[in-house]
Amino acid sequence: MEQTNASVTRTPLDSVAVKRKSKSRSYRQSYRSCLGVASRLGLTPARRLTTNRKAPESHNITRQVNPEHLALLVKNEWQLAYVTPLHQFRHTQLRSYARHLSAFVVAEKQQGLAVEVSGLQNGFKASMTVVQGMSEADDDPETVLIQIHSKPLFSRPDDPQKLVWSGWLTCINGNPEYLHSLPKDFTCLPLFVYKGAENLSSLVKSWVQRTFDCCFGPLELSQTSLQWLAALWTNCHAESNIQHLRMLWTLPSAPPLQVTYAVDPHDVWELWGSVRKGSWGDGAGEARWIDLEEVASFMQSLKSHFYRHFKLDLSAGILNQVSTALGSARFNGRIKISNSAYVITTLTLLTECALLKMPI
Amino acid sequence: MSLLKPFSKLPGLNTANILLVENQEQLQHMLADVLVKETPLTVTVRLAKSLPLPVDESRPRIDLVVFIINLTSELSFQSAEDSLKYLDPGYFLGKVCFMVTNARHASVPTERLDALRRLAASLHCPLLFAEDQTPEGVIGAAERLLTILKVSAGVVPMTTALYLSNLTRCTLPPDIDQPSFD
Amino acid sequence: MDESATRLLQRIVRRTPTEKLKATLEKWDRLTAAQRRSVDFTEPKWALIEKLVDACKENEFKMKHITELEMILVIENPNQGMWYTFQLVDPEDDAQSVDLLQFQEQFKSHLRELKRNVSVKIKKHTDQAVWIRIAWGDSFSRPNHLKPTYVVHQLQSPYIFVSSLTSKLKPLLLQALTFSTRHLAIKDANLSGRKLTAIRDLLMKEYQQVFPTKYPSPLAENNQTLSNLNIEREHAEASANRHRMAGEAFGDGTLPELQFAVYKMETKFKDPTNVAMTERDEPFRCVVKFSSTNLLESLRHCAASGLASTPVTPLLSSIPLKGRNYFVITDNAPGAASRAQQPQI
Repeated sequence: MEQTNASVTRTPLDSVAVKRKSKSRSYRQSYRSCLGVASRLGLTPARRLTTNRKAPESHNITRQVNPEHLALLVKNEWQLAYVTPLHQFRHTQLRSYARHLSAFVVAEKQQGLAVEVSGLQNGFKASMTVVQGMSEADDDPETVLIQIHSKPLFSRPDDPQKLVWSGWLTCINGNPEYLHSLPKDFTCLPLFVYKGAENLSSLVKSWVQRTFDCCFGPLELSQTSLQWLAALWTNCHAESNIQHLRMLWTLPSAPPLQVTYAVDPHDVWELWGSVRKGSWGDGAGEARWIDLEEVASFMQSLKSHFYRHFKLDLSAGILNQVSTALGSARFNGRIKISNSAYVITTLTLLTECALLKMPI
Repeated sequence: MSLLKPFSKLPGLNTANILLVENQEQLQHMLADVLVKETPLTVTVRLAKSLPLPVDESRPRIDLVVFIINLTSELSFQSAEDSLKYLDPGYFLGKVCFMVTNARHASVPTERLDALRRLAASLHCPLLFAEDQTPEGVIGAAERLLTILKVSAGVVPMTTALYLSNLTRCTLPPDIDQPSFD
Repeated sequence: MDESATRLLQRIVRRTPTEKLKATLEKWDRLTAAQRRSVDFTEPKWALIEKLVDACKENEFKMKHITELEMILVIENPNQGMWYTFQLVDPEDDAQSVDLLQFQEQFKSHLRELKRNVSVKIKKHTDQAVWIRIAWGDSFSRPNHLKPTYVVHQLQSPYIFVSSLTSKLKPLLLQALTFSTRHLAIKDANLSGRKLTAIRDLLMKEYQQVFPTKYPSPLAENNQTLSNLNIEREHAEASANRHRMAGEAFGDGTLPELQFAVYKMETKFKDPTNVAMTERDEPFRCVVKFSSTNLLESLRHCAASGLASTPVTPLLSSIPLKGRNYFVITDNAPGAASRAQQPQI
């Protein structure tokens, strides 16, 4: 009885997969995942983001990663989601997964069509590849890129296929303790970034969900994550011009008031320097650590400068978006990374946010 | 502008007075409309943006102080925190509670809920979570407040505010300080 | 009817909702009764376009007829596009006596002197405002009627509203306007918005204003919205005060719909806890933009609900007071202590 309940809460789609797991473990997992839900209800604390992290260093990942992949990642805005660990996922079988996914997408697309449209048969072609070099710590599983190509309906047979959907399953600097605690059959690629047509996204999600017995959920960025990004990006200004730090707040007035607050890059960098504790400026070359307290006082300074002029307290509102020339991030989980040098830093933070959503 | 005291006045016959403190002044109005409908007990609701309250000799004895906090707003939390010092310590023997809205909103940093939880636990107050978007949610929240109010106003036989608060006060989960990662 | 006139007509019909189109065509009054009857407004847009083009060809309409139709549409729907405001300064002695005919003649001749191949159409609206449509060309090309500039001016008022004007053509237009209204100079009034009526109302102060008074209004009790005797507001007085101050700053009732206000700030960063930044010589540069579907109402609500502290800071109350929504803020001369910031350009 216990177990059926458990499998219902955890895996609504695939009861076969549940049977494979031992009874006791499945119970434990669901118990904890209930706690995870409960924690969001406020009964037990959710785990928190780390309170200090390494200052971003520009990584030369262009040398390790296929430039084509990198260009794809950098030029687009992505939607974020989290995925629970994948069951019996093998990096070696990507080719056959891709075949299944293609077949699945085509089959789903054909549903509801009275007559079989022969053109659709080859309309969608999915591919899955390992992105070499897109990992940081030794424990990180390799990043997987999923792409779906399609031919426009009225195209000639020799036209090239168009990329209509792409998504990444990744894990950068995942918490080793958590990764080690997973049973052998599970691969943790908690961060799912994707872009493309909404119906294709949900098809891919449901296929991954069925095949690897996992769950997807939207990954929104909390105030703290956005503030972290603002500080991390600002911290890069010495190496790479951020052009501006722009923040967007929404205040709960009627009608709602949007406040866009854009600060000069040099001035905001000096402000950031002034709130940094310890030896600012020296310790060149060393990996410097950034503390959450510093981030908080940085934001507080920006808010108090605003308050001094407008007598309007931004704390009353919600930080919706932060952006610099290095990237932009929105509260609803849309993110753009514009500079490949800082991809790793940003993805590390996002991986951490995604891991917070995992059931323990 | 003085300390609000719980026992400086005599209670009225079959009445209960509740003070709703909310910086944003939104949910308090909705709650008030539901609370005053209660019969046969006469419930009077007093609404405040923050404490301290202006001097008013005619103010009846306040049986329950509720701090309503919208967790998406940092200001809302700060304002409640600042208001606490204008309450007589006697209130913390079961006559104060916190009501939180929007706790599940995705933009809320988990640190804020933790801080609130710590605050409530250190003051031995209950922490209630409410939903303010639907009429049902508001009615539910009002009913929970009424239950506590009746006890703290002394109209429920065989129990007292202090006794109830021992059962309902917020307790800290043992792992709240565990830094999850790293 | 030539190619460009047809294209303009097609575009007008395509962009206008059908109900509006019907009313506009009646107002235009160029089609014969039979032609008007033959147009079926329930038909899809492409069929409608075809029919109207045929009708116009039949009547041998020229570009001027079609632009007339466009003007009627724009005048009827002034709340589209982006409108910028300019202010005439230093009137000459005879500025007050300029009449429509004189202005029309002067403006056309001045503009033609400055630029060749310009097509100007002037129309007086019922509310005394003069509407000018300008299609620009240059020495080698004919006027481009697909990208016209619209100018609205009420004679003898200092304000001029302009929409879709490129920066290259701006000096020419402003010069022609200055001369023909008999003024010596014109300046940017730093007010822009999507709704022409709103920015005009704001400048002309045509909305309900509240004037500061020492005595509270005797009607204050009317604001008491609470129905129940058992609900008491502890801070009713403070809240009434905030509402009053918010009203004094931004006005009462429905306010003109401004969409945004921009502040470009170069002021000292002052924070007693942050010595490094406070002692810094350079100002802290930032740009703040407030936006809302109705900015003034949002700001009033902020002040009334206590989100913004009262009394309202001059920076925000300057929007209705000075009729501007673009400000450059710098610190006053060193030494000015208390009122360190004042909106100044």
